[in-house]
Amino acid sequence: MEIYLLDNLDLLQQHLLIQHQLYQVIEDDNGQCSWQQQTKEGNAPLIAKLPQSSAKDFFFAEHENLLIFNGEYFQETLPKPAPFVLFGALSCDLTAISYQDKFFKDDPYYQARRQHCLLVGLDCVRPCQQGFCPTVDAGPGVREQSADIILHPLENQQWLVITTSDKGSEAVKGLALSVAHWHLLTQRDLVLHQCEQDFPDNTYITQAIDKLNSGEIKDSFWQQLAVQCLGCSGCTTLCPTCSCYSTRSITVESEQKKVIKQQRFWDSCLYEGFQREASFHNPSSDAGKRVQRFWHHKFGNEFFTEFNRHGCVGCGRCEQTCPGVIGIHSVMKRINSDA
Amino acid sequence: MCADLVKTICPFCGVGCGMCLKINEQGQLLSVEPQQNHPISQGKLCEKGWSTPYAINTNERITQPLKRINKKFYPISWQEALTTIACELTSIIDESGSQTVGIISSARASNEDNYAAQKFARAVLKTNNIDHCARICHSPTVAGLKQSLGSGAMTNSAKDIFDTDLILVFGADPTENHSILGGHIMQAHAQGTELIVVDPRVTRLAKLTSMHLQLKLGSNIALINALLHVIIKEQWFDKNFISSRTQGFEQLALHVKDITPESVESITGVSAELIRTTARAYSQAKRAMIFYGMGITQYVSGTNNVISLANLALSCGHIGKVGTGVNPLRGQNNVQGACDMGCLPNVFPGYQGVAELESQEKFSNAWGAKIAQQPGLTSLGMTKAAQSGDFHALLLFGEDPVVTDPDQNHVKSSLKNLDLLVVAELTMTETAKLADIILPAASFAEKDGTFTNCERRVQKVNQALAPRGEAKGDWQWLQALAKQMGSQLLNWQNSEEVFNEMASLTPDYQAMTYQKISDNSGLQWPCTFDAPEGTSILHQQSFPIGRARFICVNHVDIDEPIDDLFPLLLTTNRLHFHYGCGSMTRKSPLLERETPPGLLFINPIDAQALDITHQAPVSIKSRRGYVETRAMLSDDVPVGLVAMPYHFKEAPSNQLTNTAQDPVTKMPELKACAVAVTPLAKGQPPKTIQQLQGEQ
Ligand code: SF4
Ligand code: SF4
Ligand code: SF4
Repeated sequence: MEIYLLDNLDLLQQHLLIQHQLYQVIEDDNGQCSWQQQTKEGNAPLIAKLPQSSAKDFFFAEHENLLIFNGEYFQETLPKPAPFVLFGALSCDLTAISYQDKFFKDDPYYQARRQHCLLVGLDCVRPCQQGFCPTVDAGPGVREQSADIILHPLENQQWLVITTSDKGSEAVKGLALSVAHWHLLTQRDLVLHQCEQDFPDNTYITQAIDKLNSGEIKDSFWQQLAVQCLGCSGCTTLCPTCSCYSTRSITVESEQKKVIKQQRFWDSCLYEGFQREASFHNPSSDAGKRVQRFWHHKFGNEFFTEFNRHGCVGCGRCEQTCPGVIGIHSVMKRINSDA
Repeated sequence: MCADLVKTICPFCGVGCGMCLKINEQGQLLSVEPQQNHPISQGKLCEKGWSTPYAINTNERITQPLKRINKKFYPISWQEALTTIACELTSIIDESGSQTVGIISSARASNEDNYAAQKFARAVLKTNNIDHCARICHSPTVAGLKQSLGSGAMTNSAKDIFDTDLILVFGADPTENHSILGGHIMQAHAQGTELIVVDPRVTRLAKLTSMHLQLKLGSNIALINALLHVIIKEQWFDKNFISSRTQGFEQLALHVKDITPESVESITGVSAELIRTTARAYSQAKRAMIFYGMGITQYVSGTNNVISLANLALSCGHIGKVGTGVNPLRGQNNVQGACDMGCLPNVFPGYQGVAELESQEKFSNAWGAKIAQQPGLTSLGMTKAAQSGDFHALLLFGEDPVVTDPDQNHVKSSLKNLDLLVVAELTMTETAKLADIILPAASFAEKDGTFTNCERRVQKVNQALAPRGEAKGDWQWLQALAKQMGSQLLNWQNSEEVFNEMASLTPDYQAMTYQKISDNSGLQWPCTFDAPEGTSILHQQSFPIGRARFICVNHVDIDEPIDDLFPLLLTTNRLHFHYGCGSMTRKSPLLERETPPGLLFINPIDAQALDITHQAPVSIKSRRGYVETRAMLSDDVPVGLVAMPYHFKEAPSNQLTNTAQDPVTKMPELKACAVAVTPLAKGQPPKTIQQLQGEQ
């Protein structure tokens, strides 16, 4: 780990742009935040705002062809992306990427993209609206193992640049950086600690997690809750750790030839049909079971053991997007009060 | 990777949620995300909204004009298509007159497309034969509210849901059909707003409230009259409001004097006690809001049902204020706009009467053309006239009447009887299969324009993609066709010019421009020089007709009661996974998987009596038709009632539904008819209607 001081962030952006495509979160007039590609000509200022869609589709594409058979032979479909950098990803989303790295460890499509990516994290120094990353150990400061470089804003418009991996050190080579004094790291810790204190009281989440794992919650509670699930797939689409997918084959026939594609696409475990078999048998035909399964994946002890952390990184996206008002905060409150 | 994010409006339902289309470097649509700060949807979409890319990116898009020769379609050039259509139209008009041709436009198309369609009909073809599908959704709303209040639109706004004390949902299933609004209602209820649901089925909202009035099919008026009886008898009405803003209350009081809750118990199936509790809750609430849907309109008594809801709101003064009103939930994304644009046989844009001399002059001067004077035909009127050989050519876009219209067999044979049927569509539909010429239509993501949502909000739709293949927007091909027929009347340069011409002629849209619409995230009409910011609540000071009218209406039995041969009542419903005829949503593998092709909801008790098991193949027969599908056992339908969604071309419910009509609007009674259900042999898969009728 090396720590540097930087006066002008633009220098780092320009430096990274020499060898990478650079993506950054941009906010438009209506407050919509999204990852957008930046060019040498114009760099938007770095903002610590959570984009509506997380970064997961940079690695796990929403639709992709796994196989194409063009009538004579199979075509290679592995992506070959140019090196790119996610500049200023926030801690919850970075934690989610580490989580998915494990899930997709052996997935060549995911890994082909992931290996070409440099992650530059940005510390949050103020709580965001729906987030609760401290409660699930996913922020607000960027965790060392989850990024290659960490940026921390200092009071005097300066930046602390912390490289946490070889890839990170390699990426800043050639850039004129001054080495920073270690006490700035202590200062960083203090700021992050203060930020954690500023989050609203989220003990109801911790309590609900305990209750969820106690085996006390009745099926009827989940059934009642699930009346409100419209099966929209919003939560699973926006959740940075969700990774359900399905595949289908698409045949495109023209006069000359027949092309068959095997396509993988994002799916949602909250759809009734997700587990239905051809015989109509369905282990989770009950909406209550589906909603329960979703929250067990996020907070169940078995998954904690497997992934060494909760499946939820505390971003709060599901609360905002759930039309049925059963996102994270609503569900955790109801587990405490009604279950 | 996403290279561009284009803000636009969901193309599926009347809620009009804000979405962003994510476009990659190659200009293809990758996916969508909700607009975080949209005034209505606030960062949410329903499953239809989320599945938008599947509808547009499908491989099945029609990409060039097609001509049918016998049963096969052959690609032709646009020029050939236009020449053929123009020649045919001209010769039909020369021979048989303008009243034998017409257009059915689309509640899915933009305001600009609809404006162009009615102008094309009236000024180029010189006929008022112009309609769209509202006929089968909400024409009783327009007719009923127009008489009672003077305007047929939603009186209040979506945001009022969070600013009211009681929500009364009448014959509507908002969590399935207008999911985001339905979600708002769930949220408001969770935060303490009282919720009353009136519906024959146990809808999702009914499951969330203790106040569910599970009335019998078609007994709305009896129920509402009894509610009025109680409100008047107990002096729970709003005296000040009634005396200062309305007329006809005394007659109404007299009319419902003897309609006690006890007297309607057997007709409605709702206990007198529950009627009284409801009357008290609604009338005593400080602010109360009514939402209603097709459970009100799709009856022979549709118009009167709407009128009696207006009576109810007026009697309690629950109108013209925040958190009140009579609020129709309209189906398709732009059904409000299609009506506003005058895609109706009796009105020009802005509901200016075709029969009025003044309006005729206004439009003929503005367009610099002679226009049609004779009254026009409705869509049902056009198909009927085609059947009898009095109607010869139809241009149709974005609609699939063969699947969605009542009495499918009749529609099919009359369309076959036409000399010229032109259909503009995204993908092949059952109706398009009958066309002589098919034109490739541009999807909503491929054009600029505006949609008007159910709360009268005009919102901007922005082009994100190049049109697929040779596809064209509707006003663009109408323009090309007009030119081919020697008319320069549709010569706009872009959508904005169409909009500006329309706004200059439509009083309620007067003060709107594209820029202002974008800046304000939509504007709600009336948006006039007097109210340049738009209007979120109608009728605050007065009604367009001065005083609102109480109109006395009587209960009417459903047209086709059950009997020995047809012992079960069938009603139609919608599933939130699908939309309209399903030609867009069924392209999604996710939504397609959610429900098998066609199904019949039946109460377990009825099912047991008929020896039908869950998912078993069954046949359903009515006086008009026969279909096969699978049974879905569900307590959500009461004993004696079966329900069938209408999205499925394999088992279309309109093979069965009744064609008896509301006398005012000709709205068919889609919500009730008598049927017989029988199990098919085990293991015999249900046949599709195409197989049953011996086609491929
Ligand atoms: S469960 Fe909700 S809060 Fe947790 S990571 Fe997923 S979207 Fe974010
Ligand atoms: S966002 Fe809410 S309604 Fe949609 S699938 Fe998730 S839990 Fe269900
Ligand atoms: S509620 Fe309607 S407008 Fe909103 S996302 Fe669903 S279909 Fe689209």
